[in-house]
Amino acid sequence: MRKHSVKSAAIVVGVLLVAGACGTNKTETGASGGACDTSKGTLSIGVIAPQSGGLSALGLGIKNSSQLAVDEANEKCTVKGYKLVVDTQDDEANPAKGAQAATKLSSDPNVVGVVGTLNSSVAQTVQPILSQKKIVQVSPANTNPTLTRGEAFATAPKRAFDTYFRVCATDELQGPYAANYLVTKAGKKKIAIITDGKTYGEGLAAEFSKQATKNGATIVATEKVGEKDTDFAGVIATIKAASPDALYYGGEYPQAAPLSKQMKSSGLNIPLMGGDGIYDDKYISLGGGDGDLATSVGAPTDKLDSAKAFVDAYAKKGFKDAYGAYGAFSYDAANAIIGSLATALNGGDWSESKRADLLKAVGTYSGSGATGSIKFDEYGDSTNKVLTVYQVTGGKWNAAETGEFTG
Amino acid sequence: MSKLANTIKPFARPLAILGGVLLIVAALLPWVTFALNSGKYPDLATLQFFDAPFAVTGFRWHILLLGVLVLIAVFAPIPSKGRVVRSLGWGGLAVALINSIFITTEGGGLGAITAADGNAAFGGIVGIVAGIAVILGGTGIGIELPAKWKVKLSTPLAYLVLVVTFAAVLFAVAQTLTAGGQGGPANPYAGGLFLSFLGFAAGLLTALNGIGLIGWISELSEKHRVFSVVVLLACALLLPFTNAGSEYWMTVAANIGIYAATAIGLNIVVGLAGLLDLGYVAFMGIGAVVAANLSGAAASKVGIDLPFPIAAVIAAIIAGIFGAIVGSPTLRVRGDYLAIVTLAFGEIFTRSAQNNIGGLTNGANAIPGVPPLDLFGKEFNEPLNIGSVELPSGVLYYVLIVLLVAAVMAIFANLKFSRIGRAWIAIREDEDAARAMGIKTGKAKILAFLVGATLAGLAGAVFAHKNGTVSYESFKFLESVTLLAAVILGGMGSIPGAVLGASLLFVLPEKLREFSDYRLMIFGLALVLIMRFRPQGLVPDRHRRAELAGEDVGGVPVDEVHEHDTKGATA
Amino acid sequence: MSTLLQQLANGVVQGALIALIALGYTMVYGIIQLINFAHGEVFMVGAYGGLATYTWIVPESVKDVWYVSLPIVLVGGVAVSVAIALLMERFAYRPLRNAPRLAPLITALGVSVFLQEFVRNFYPNATAALPFPGVFVQGQLVIGPIRVGWSGILLIGVSVLLSIALQTYINRSRMGRAMRATAQDPDTAKLMGVNPDRVIVLTFVLGAALAGVAGVLFGTYLNNINTDMGFQTGIFAFTAAVLGGVGSIRGAVVGAFIIGLVKTLAGQYMPGGTQYDYVWIFVVLILVLVFRPQGLFGEPERVRA
Repeated sequence: MRKHSVKSAAIVVGVLLVAGACGTNKTETGASGGACDTSKGTLSIGVIAPQSGGLSALGLGIKNSSQLAVDEANEKCTVKGYKLVVDTQDDEANPAKGAQAATKLSSDPNVVGVVGTLNSSVAQTVQPILSQKKIVQVSPANTNPTLTRGEAFATAPKRAFDTYFRVCATDELQGPYAANYLVTKAGKKKIAIITDGKTYGEGLAAEFSKQATKNGATIVATEKVGEKDTDFAGVIATIKAASPDALYYGGEYPQAAPLSKQMKSSGLNIPLMGGDGIYDDKYISLGGGDGDLATSVGAPTDKLDSAKAFVDAYAKKGFKDAYGAYGAFSYDAANAIIGSLATALNGGDWSESKRADLLKAVGTYSGSGATGSIKFDEYGDSTNKVLTVYQVTGGKWNAAETGEFTG
Repeated sequence: MSKLANTIKPFARPLAILGGVLLIVAALLPWVTFALNSGKYPDLATLQFFDAPFAVTGFRWHILLLGVLVLIAVFAPIPSKGRVVRSLGWGGLAVALINSIFITTEGGGLGAITAADGNAAFGGIVGIVAGIAVILGGTGIGIELPAKWKVKLSTPLAYLVLVVTFAAVLFAVAQTLTAGGQGGPANPYAGGLFLSFLGFAAGLLTALNGIGLIGWISELSEKHRVFSVVVLLACALLLPFTNAGSEYWMTVAANIGIYAATAIGLNIVVGLAGLLDLGYVAFMGIGAVVAANLSGAAASKVGIDLPFPIAAVIAAIIAGIFGAIVGSPTLRVRGDYLAIVTLAFGEIFTRSAQNNIGGLTNGANAIPGVPPLDLFGKEFNEPLNIGSVELPSGVLYYVLIVLLVAAVMAIFANLKFSRIGRAWIAIREDEDAARAMGIKTGKAKILAFLVGATLAGLAGAVFAHKNGTVSYESFKFLESVTLLAAVILGGMGSIPGAVLGASLLFVLPEKLREFSDYRLMIFGLALVLIMRFRPQGLVPDRHRRAELAGEDVGGVPVDEVHEHDTKGATA
Repeated sequence: MSTLLQQLANGVVQGALIALIALGYTMVYGIIQLINFAHGEVFMVGAYGGLATYTWIVPESVKDVWYVSLPIVLVGGVAVSVAIALLMERFAYRPLRNAPRLAPLITALGVSVFLQEFVRNFYPNATAALPFPGVFVQGQLVIGPIRVGWSGILLIGVSVLLSIALQTYINRSRMGRAMRATAQDPDTAKLMGVNPDRVIVLTFVLGAALAGVAGVLFGTYLNNINTDMGFQTGIFAFTAAVLGGVGSIRGAVVGAFIIGLVKTLAGQYMPGGTQYDYVWIFVVLILVLVFRPQGLFGEPERVRA
């Protein structure tokens, strides 16, 4: 075995030599942070999101967008006397791993707040841990209504954790808004529903279905696909038999796009509608076709200067991964924490006892972000109820309708 | 002996001495040519020489120590010298290589460890060369079997040795957990430093094994079994008082404990009875779902709030029943065919849980808000005060789980040496022969599944309360794989093996958090490497060792057999 | 009725894909009794290799000419698959030839995780699904109520042809005989002058080549690929191999078509619909194994010493 080990070691070293050459990436700008006074030390904004595994694309977008917000704050000296950094912890989209990530962050006295999580089920284990240490958590992506308003969210809402906030819309906003558009505006009365069986898609589809029925449409088929499926011929044939005139998909673009494409090529030429999980340019490049619809929170990007600014700044940073479906929300979430931190500290010193002040400051925070105005109600939900329906026309997402969901 | 060993034989000692000296030199040389962009590399490695050897810290201290030990080993009259020297060399090489690679990637090229902008730093390169020299020297001296000590001790003295050993183990565990420090923005190199520490520790341990110390102590602890177990348990309970007693590590350790208990259950099925199970985590999931439903959580459908012990027993029983059901095809299906049946069961469980079967699992929304355990009105997730010492929250769970693991280990040990345990081992070795000897193989196999699943269900019940949420996402195929890997990595059928394997496989990802997106990749690679170098597991079962060794090599332990084989075949 | 026919057609396409991968599982298992869990990843890597070939090697001018670009892409995909399989065999499995039985299994699972994450981290933009070009005749074959994409037809054709070719090769050729001999009794085969290393390498190469073809055709058929695709399809393929009886070429193909059909038909007609289609696959598997423990075409397990 020895000879081979030596040989393979030589190959590895050779490859390294060729690849690495004798270069370095040394930068000459001593301490980053530029002109700001960072004499009081470093504070961390935690990020809990999947960094490895199947959902890492979304998780990396969350991390990068938070990084962008933190970098901007450091440049603008938003928090006087402190340098801010991002502390990202991988949760592998697994609740138990998320709990460990949260414990790791919560045991660091310099963590001021946490952006995350991506998955609602991970949020469920993270919430109590962060809440015990009074660490504010702002989620860019959790859509499960129980996270803010408790198990009986519809009938007897009760705030579940006073440390938990979110900047995204819950299912019972987006689903019904989509239903109103699809049934009342677009006049589709026979609707098939397909979900990917995950929290986001299931919740969205359930709320959609309620409102659509109320509006007088019939749900002609309800099916579920595996979260890793790519061949949808079977499920398409199933719903085709019910001859629907529209399909609502609860899930994200990696499945939605091929589903739409396969549906259309199998002769079932009806629009597919989804939530913000499919509102992504990748949806179109992966096969989403003209006529497909998506809802997303906030006014259309091209009508909102702050949104454009975010997109430009993100592009300028040159991150390896796209900001994805939740990038703008993460940017807003991080900014909400940073802005509130500046208010809470007001030039003073950070200590763990300031966490309560920070919580109060987040509760009353008000700013305008990449997704519109950012403000929280008494349960920690975003008050931003502006939603936009987008439609694919000419190979691009274009805004079809913007409005506020009123019931 | 191989050709290589023969060629270097005449130069072996000088080579080893040279390597040892070079290791010491490497420790004193600078390692990095400039302050890296994410902050200076730790242990004053950036362009700093050391004239005072005692001021060296961290990985450079490890290298220095290894160098000194190499020199001692070469000159001192110790048994199996070649093996000891070679092990130390591997340790030095690992430390030098890991740090060099890490610095090179962080620094964006080989300039970081050679010369850049008029500064030179060759610590890493010298260290690598030195490591290789020592390894070659050791090989040239000649690799003998690890020494066997014949020293007999009187009981009090033996007790003393054991207490000292376990105290050292406790220290080593705490040291390993905190090695590299808590990673984060303030400490961006924690992951690399931890790996480097592992390399150092592995080198040192194999050297100690070579010299015969480890074999001697394990024989000693075997002889004074009860005493060892008590001391080990005490040590485990003392871990919260060491520097690893932070809230974070207590939480991680408690999670490890839950998986370790589950792995021991799996060890019954796989390690003792030899039935490959690829869907085992489903039983843990069933236990967790049952316990969550009986916990009075708001989202549970049953809506009754039973005290934890009762709920846990019910959870264990129900999981056990499912275990027997899943095990029943074993009456007809054998070997790897059975593996696919268990895999199928695991998939069916996650699918059903995701689809909220019977309204019991709450589907994709999971069951949140499972209350933490409490005892005398004290919730287990709160900090604990003993006198003036405040222990962080998580310690109570840790203690509970250590006791649970101890109990499960006791069950396992009793089963293993009982009539049924022997039947399982017989089935594992040769099912037809076992049947011919009058063992009711069908019953025994189903019983293995039943007992294993019961233990997993029990662990699942604790899991539900500890994590507060029960979601199908926690019980996916990757978890089954990790558990199986823990059992095989630890050594099939061995009692401490499963615990050790589980600890390693769950600590490693935690310590590698800094690598975030490369974490799973490194985990996969680690599985491959560990199996490559220790296919029989870290702590091979003694019986199994004897069984596998066979007649032709005269009872040599299996790891030695393996090493001879590979050398003879390829070198 | 039209739905049933359409579902049958869908099932056959799925079965054809699974068959190509199942063959690799079954051959490797037949020779070295290893469940090569990383085989699904070889399939995935093949798809990415094909995509890379299309993106960087196929000249811009012929990208739309499918009969030029498809063969190049296929060769690219197969080359990458085979290379990965060779590395895997050489560095991960061969050193474990004499190790305890379960050690290579863990290695296989480790390789699987590693390859998935490796591609995700180092292939450009592979963190999310990537579009795959349709390097074949676009459009649908329409027979009455049934519609199947031309690339689906290609998949079925290639799958059937390659399985027949493989079966013939193993039955007729010298190397094929060596493979069968090694599968039956490696020690005796060795005594008869068969070089087991060569046979094993050949087995891996053949399996990987089929998986590479499957990867490229999968991409062509569905027009997008992701790093998870190998795992799921791999599990189905493994199930198919077991259902048909591991070690049997015919069994793997039949098993694959059964699984494809069960998945689509159960999704249509069984209670619970597509939510439980996986469950039905495994129920069928368990039932078959209970009544025919060696699988449909497998030989009853010999008693090994």
